[in-house]
Amino acid sequence: MTTKQPKEQVLIRYGGVAAAKKEREHLLASMMSPEGKPEALEGVVVIDASYTNFAGIVAASFFAEFGAEVIKVEPPEGDPARKMTPFGVTVNGVGIPFLMEARNKRYCTIDLHTEEGRKDFAKLAKKADIIIESFPAGQMDSWGIGYRQLSQLNPRLIYIAITPYGQYGKRAEEFAQVPDADITAQAASGLASIIGDPETGEEPYNWPTRAGAWMAWYMAGTQAAIGGTLALLFREVSGEGQMVDIATADSYATLAQYPVIAGNTWRKARPRLGRYDFSMCPYGIFKTKDGFVAIAAGRDNDFRALLKILDLFKREVEEEFKTISDRITDDLRRIDKLTAHLEGATTKLTSDELVGKTINYSLKAIRSKLSGGGIPFVMKVESPSTTMKNLHWYFRKSFQQFDDPKLGKFVLPVNFAKMSETPPRVKWVSCEIGKDNDYVRQKYLSE
Amino acid sequence: MEEYFRFAKELFDPAKAKNKPQPLKGIRVLDFTHFIYGPTCTGILARYGAEVIKIEEPGSGDMLRLGAWWGKYWKHTNPLSHSLHLNKYFVTINLKKPEGKELVYRLAEKADVAVENLAAGTAEAWGVGYTQLREVKPDIIYLSCSTYGQYGPLRFFPGWDLLAQAAAGTITITGYPGTDKYYKLPDYLGDFYPGTLGALVILIALYYRKKTGKGQYIDLAQVETMTRLLPHFTYFSITGQELERTGNIDPTMSPAFIHKTRDGKFVALAAGTDDQFKALCTAIGRNDLPAKYPTQLERLKPENAQELNRLTQEWVSQRNAREIVDLAKKHGFPAAEVVDDYQITHEEWRRERGSVETFYDEMYREFLLPGPQALLSKSPAKVNWLCRPVGYHNRYVLKGWLGLSDEEFEELEKKKVIGYWDDRPGAKPPIYYDITTDQMFNYQGDGGDKA
Repeated sequence: MTTKQPKEQVLIRYGGVAAAKKEREHLLASMMSPEGKPEALEGVVVIDASYTNFAGIVAASFFAEFGAEVIKVEPPEGDPARKMTPFGVTVNGVGIPFLMEARNKRYCTIDLHTEEGRKDFAKLAKKADIIIESFPAGQMDSWGIGYRQLSQLNPRLIYIAITPYGQYGKRAEEFAQVPDADITAQAASGLASIIGDPETGEEPYNWPTRAGAWMAWYMAGTQAAIGGTLALLFREVSGEGQMVDIATADSYATLAQYPVIAGNTWRKARPRLGRYDFSMCPYGIFKTKDGFVAIAAGRDNDFRALLKILDLFKREVEEEFKTISDRITDDLRRIDKLTAHLEGATTKLTSDELVGKTINYSLKAIRSKLSGGGIPFVMKVESPSTTMKNLHWYFRKSFQQFDDPKLGKFVLPVNFAKMSETPPRVKWVSCEIGKDNDYVRQKYLSE
Repeated sequence: MEEYFRFAKELFDPAKAKNKPQPLKGIRVLDFTHFIYGPTCTGILARYGAEVIKIEEPGSGDMLRLGAWWGKYWKHTNPLSHSLHLNKYFVTINLKKPEGKELVYRLAEKADVAVENLAAGTAEAWGVGYTQLREVKPDIIYLSCSTYGQYGPLRFFPGWDLLAQAAAGTITITGYPGTDKYYKLPDYLGDFYPGTLGALVILIALYYRKKTGKGQYIDLAQVETMTRLLPHFTYFSITGQELERTGNIDPTMSPAFIHKTRDGKFVALAAGTDDQFKALCTAIGRNDLPAKYPTQLERLKPENAQELNRLTQEWVSQRNAREIVDLAKKHGFPAAEVVDDYQITHEEWRRERGSVETFYDEMYREFLLPGPQALLSKSPAKVNWLCRPVGYHNRYVLKGWLGLSDEEFEELEKKKVIGYWDDRPGAKPPIYYDITTDQMFNYQGDGGDKA
């Protein structure tokens, strides 16, 4: 990788004017590194007692990245989440997802199955601001260390419970003993049912399909962190802690809203559409000579511009698919025809050529009063390994290389938000079971 | 156990939530966002009690209002706009006019947070960027949402959910190995997820401001929020190989998959830990397996995982979905039926819990909403109203909060600095609704800021 900044292309008509402003340049330059900046959640103590559940681990990670002291409490043999890893690949016995979320955390072993362990945990809770747990609903309560008991000890405590179906209601009671997994949460929250080929396609491609990462767990983890931070803010006003209830079977339905909105207004389920989108067309991935591009040209003027770029701006195509209502994705044969038509042209170009052509067109169209304002959005489809190599993310320090004597060399996606005052950061990565037992005992359990 | 569930039900009782305080009471948000990414973020803040002032262009307003998938409007609105824009104040300001900018600055003086999701630098060029707003409100928290961020070589590259997914690589992770068919994450998740994370970052900045009195500027790139949740980069850096697509199998647990049942339904099933695996083996009557595959890592070895997935899938395909889920309950391993939109809106437990919420609105009447992001026992989310027509709160916000006199207000109307809806679905009130008698719309002002 080179450190020399390449010449930047100004592709939006307003961009150049604003970016020239000295003040803004200073501001952005100051945001390029978190070094020496304060941390937003300094002094907040988070106990992550989540067990075999990454939603809890992810929520704890967000707190840790913003400066909270996060202590992962796990049994002496370690949390089995440590070994949930693609194809069993581990580093020093630790799985990749666990390594990825092992940022700025401390590890303490407490066996909650013993009386002594529960006493220690209660002691910890007395000094904690936030507790995260993912045991079956009511389990911690029956151990005497649930919200009911701990809030007596520490009225300022914020208690986040993560389960498949929540803490109350018929389903929560009935399914209390069913453990959580990402794939079941994807299924139960409405995500899987809308990925995959249309029902008319061949099996198993037309089945509901799993999203290729732990989407449900990450969504639920983000929601848990939101709930926890809201509770922190409320505590500033009221002085009181509270309980936060997260159900992973809600994650997609509440975060992406569409399942409920569609289910309600349509009075039926949406079908799976394979590579197509519900609202917009063309909006998806297209083959090129050397790979794939993503094309979003849903508005009519964007679509016309796309046809021009692909040299397809002929009367018959233009007339048949002219307006948004001509391109509704309810008649898939029609859309297949359009896609085949477009792909016939895109496959003649390489991805870079097509992106370049679009940029050139956009630059011209922006200056022209006659173009109708259409700009198709075209982006080369990157696979994760090529994304990492893009210079843009190098400048933004989006990926950090680590070289640990025990864990070896690895890369983590970091710095997901750039902030002028309190950016998130990764200070250290460590995974050893019980690494901070002494530290935690001395600091929190010595009395 | 029963006692605990009673306690929890009492704690979260949706009927009582209405009378509880809200965590973001008194926080004011200037919302320059449109489409999905930015509005998701401000929508979460609004649901927890922040006063979000959605600033739109007179006429069409936010373009999302005008779109409805497959052309299916609901009471002449895009149904999604109701869940995205609930509890917001709808104000129109023409930013091209100097008087319009003046209005924004006057609102900014009273604001705590501002959010925009225009192309990088555009807000600054329009005079409503962070550097300008902090002149009038030094401790403002300002979130700029964009696809690639505010700096870096790609910063002016156009963006959209799909393009963010393409750039982040999330578009290539879903689907079956060996095919050239990739499925994107559906429903603009590349907008919804970054927007949700944006809300988290604002909340954290608000907490910091409460402690120190300092505001700040936040640059949130869609792509970076999507890369944050992929293990693929770390996997590649360690193994030197791409983490390949695995179709309906989760390669992090074994077995773990979605499969068709005998009755034509689909069930997701997994065994992440040794205990769960033992429970599953008992359920399928293969108590010999735990001894053969004693550890998680042993089971995850590709050849073992293949075998375990195969024989469990076979078991699933010979049973009804109901039977499998019942066994999961009995023995304690993760399993759930794949539910679709219809089931989500009709499952009893979601309504009981508030994950799906029926709301009665004065203008649009009954509507079913997705629940809030998190249930809080003492300071829960609340819904007060749904989306409103373009410029609906002009009088309320400008007269009530800024204290504009009737003459000043009419002057602004005459100069077209502020305005109302065009005759388009999504922008205008529903046809059955008599806007002339609407008290909020015709707000007369009580002279001065009520807050």
